[in-house]
Amino acid sequence: MYRARPETRTRHMLPGRLKKASLFTALWLALPAVASGVVAEHVNPDTGLSSWKAEGDALDFEFIQVLPDYVRAVYSSRGLPKAVVDKVSSYCVFGTILRNRTDKPLSYRVADWRYITPDGVRHPIRTKSEWVSEWHDMGIAFRWSMLPDDQTFAVGDWGQGFTTIALEPGSPFALEYSWTQDDKTETRLIEEVRCAPAEAPVSR
Amino acid sequence: MRRLKPLYPGKLLVLLLVVCLPLLATTAVRSESGESSLGYQFTALAAPVIAPDFTLDDMDTKPHALHDYRGKVVLINFWATWCPPCRKEMPALEALYQKLGGESFAVLAVNQWEDADHVFAYTGDLNVFPTFPILFDPESTISEQYGVKGLPTSFLIDKKGQLVYRAVGGRDFDHPQVEQLIRELLAEK
Repeated sequence: MYRARPETRTRHMLPGRLKKASLFTALWLALPAVASGVVAEHVNPDTGLSSWKAEGDALDFEFIQVLPDYVRAVYSSRGLPKAVVDKVSSYCVFGTILRNRTDKPLSYRVADWRYITPDGVRHPIRTKSEWVSEWHDMGIAFRWSMLPDDQTFAVGDWGQGFTTIALEPGSPFALEYSWTQDDKTETRLIEEVRCAPAEAPVSR
Repeated sequence: MRRLKPLYPGKLLVLLLVVCLPLLATTAVRSESGESSLGYQFTALAAPVIAPDFTLDDMDTKPHALHDYRGKVVLINFWATWCPPCRKEMPALEALYQKLGGESFAVLAVNQWEDADHVFAYTGDLNVFPTFPILFDPESTISEQYGVKGLPTSFLIDKKGQLVYRAVGGRDFDHPQVEQLIRELLAEK
């Protein structure tokens, strides 16, 4: 049986406005960003879903499209009420994997991250605490599956969880994320991220 | 027509360095995705504290109290069946338990939110059936006491009942360095 090769596109993480600058200026301004990481889009040949993976920094960052149906299945099978299942699956959900690649601790805070819609507006990301607080008010003690609000990763530590973006299926946006190490905060921008479609794309 | 100025070798070299060095500094992009490998490092806690005590039931509703394990080295693993790295590390946890488990070393896998029927069905699907106790923390009260933010998270408790090491994220428990670390704890008086 023919099996499609994974499609991988590589893009350096440069701020969008640099596109308009002169090449020489852009090269110089881009040096720190280019030297510090590369992001690649990968299309899963089995599911047709995309993920974006940034490597080469102190923090590896992976952002994986999740179908609304999968989100429903995850929460339904935990026995959570329909209201919770419907609300979470109405968000654009990404599986997010973070890993400390260095020999020193680093930390992140989801409250510092932003998603940027095509109109240029920067939006905060709904945090795990906000979800857990809402569930707690409904008498539900469930507090797992979402990416923790903040964590300090020691050497070798990594973590994962869902990140929820308040956009419709298929919506495009840019993601700005950051981490702090040795009191220095690093920020990265992944352009042209897309929410998962409403239904499973046809496998390639 | 406007002609481009010739580039002298020195200028060309500088331009090449400017363009190429950052590219060389980047990490090669891997095509696989969503397949995070397990690590093996545990981080020593700066100030070891006595591990919060608990009593939780296992799959046969037999209670296990942490204080009954005093004098042993204990690996506590907070996990759930829906958590991919938890699933991935389970065979290595069993391998470690088979190797070191006994009078002086114990593994307690503390499940979050799920019930015994669900977990029993899950373990039945594994290639290697876990023989260490699987305990149930249905309201996540114990994981809260241990400050667990994400799953899986593991702790090593020394013979004195102190939390001495922590690992956030999945681990290859069968790695020689994990075994060595536990053997060092076992050698302590």
